[in-house]
Amino acid sequence: MDTPMSHSEFEELAAGYVLGALEPDDEHVFQQHMGGCPVCEANVRELEAVVGELAYAAPPVDPPDTVWAGIRREIRPEAAPRRAAIPAAPGAPSGTGGRRRRLLQALAAVAAVVLVVALSLWNLNLRDQNVVYRDRVAALERATQLANDPTAALVKLDDQPGTTGAQATVIASSRQDRGVLLVQNLPPLQRNRVYELWGVPGGDIAKAEKALVFVPLRRQGTQALQFEVPIQPGTAFAITEEPAPDGSDKPTGAPVLVGAPRSA
Amino acid sequence: MRGKAYRGLRDGQLVELVAQKDAGALEALYDRYGRAAYSLARRILTEETLAQDVVQEVFLSLWRDARRFDAGRGTVATYLLSMTHHRAVDVVRREENLRRWRTSDEGLELAPDPKARVEDEVEASERRSEVRAALAELPAAQREALLLAYFGGYTQREVAALVGVPLGTVKTRMAAGMRKMREALQDAGREEQHPWTRR
Repeated sequence: MDTPMSHSEFEELAAGYVLGALEPDDEHVFQQHMGGCPVCEANVRELEAVVGELAYAAPPVDPPDTVWAGIRREIRPEAAPRRAAIPAAPGAPSGTGGRRRRLLQALAAVAAVVLVVALSLWNLNLRDQNVVYRDRVAALERATQLANDPTAALVKLDDQPGTTGAQATVIASSRQDRGVLLVQNLPPLQRNRVYELWGVPGGDIAKAEKALVFVPLRRQGTQALQFEVPIQPGTAFAITEEPAPDGSDKPTGAPVLVGAPRSA
Repeated sequence: MRGKAYRGLRDGQLVELVAQKDAGALEALYDRYGRAAYSLARRILTEETLAQDVVQEVFLSLWRDARRFDAGRGTVATYLLSMTHHRAVDVVRREENLRRWRTSDEGLELAPDPKARVEDEVEASERRSEVRAALAELPAAQREALLLAYFGGYTQREVAALVGVPLGTVKTRMAAGMRKMREALQDAGREEQHPWTRR
């Protein structure tokens, strides 16, 4: 180069650089410069994010199964053995352990019957690799476990006026402070909204505690979701709409679905 | 291991697991981003087996280098998709006969997504709408320069020749277009977007 570049010329090159569109000499000069310039490095980082996002402008095409199969084949020799448990997501409280009594009380028996009927209707394909189905299996395993818990309560949530056909049932253990939400036919949400499940001690909405944030499935079927929240024998449950992505700390709207345990 | 698996984990956590050679974590990232990567590679390369090779290389590259992934430099999505772009452009430059898509707008018609089956695909189709809307807001000359480079793999000099303007003009248009795209997409908050969390 005969004349040195001004910094604004370098800044202009950043776009071409991240797009891979620079001529070789421009690319070389820019790379040399970037090595010592935090401003241009930061600029490139931000523009790389745009390059990544522009991928979504391409018409979507499903990759054939052979793509993942090929990757899996390559990594298999180095892959670690399957883990027994995965690290908890941050903020997820660890469960209250303890031995579970195995005696079936009347309520637990009812819950078990409900689950058997529900399972037979869901037509699960356990060989499906899809993560949605894996989650559902896990939630059902949790629900079955809860059916053996004498402190588990079955709480049917009724839909409020204006919600067409939404149905939900909560199976909740006051001893474990954890439960499973079974929900279907929730209306779809706008992109900036989520559903939130609340544990409502004694039915007092002012004391509502966040149990779970989720979005409805787009297709038919029942969603099964695990959650953890403090639960007492009189705890009611409610589902409201809240802002994405993390919901709210207290309910900000009228419940879409709400239910209380039958006289505790 | 079955069960809750990787669904509630953020991308960054999955990468940490990949660094420990957890194949399920890599598969979870493939579930999230494999379709977007493949769609991009197909659009640039048009040829199926070359696109498949690029996507495989990208995910294998993450498998090998996950330990060195630096979250400070950008999100996992950016890493995977920008690497896909770079590799696809490298390939298309090598294989000159692939460069059939002279018109920058071909293949970008808005068609409804065939089947948004699961939550990840719902999110992808929403990202698609957002990016397309941002592109539509660009002045035509900037969008043209940007897309010829991005999907056509043309260099700035080639774009200048195709469009019939000086190289300097192309540089300015590309820089302005990318700057506008960055602003338009910024408030989407593209950090590890997953619409639900478990608390």
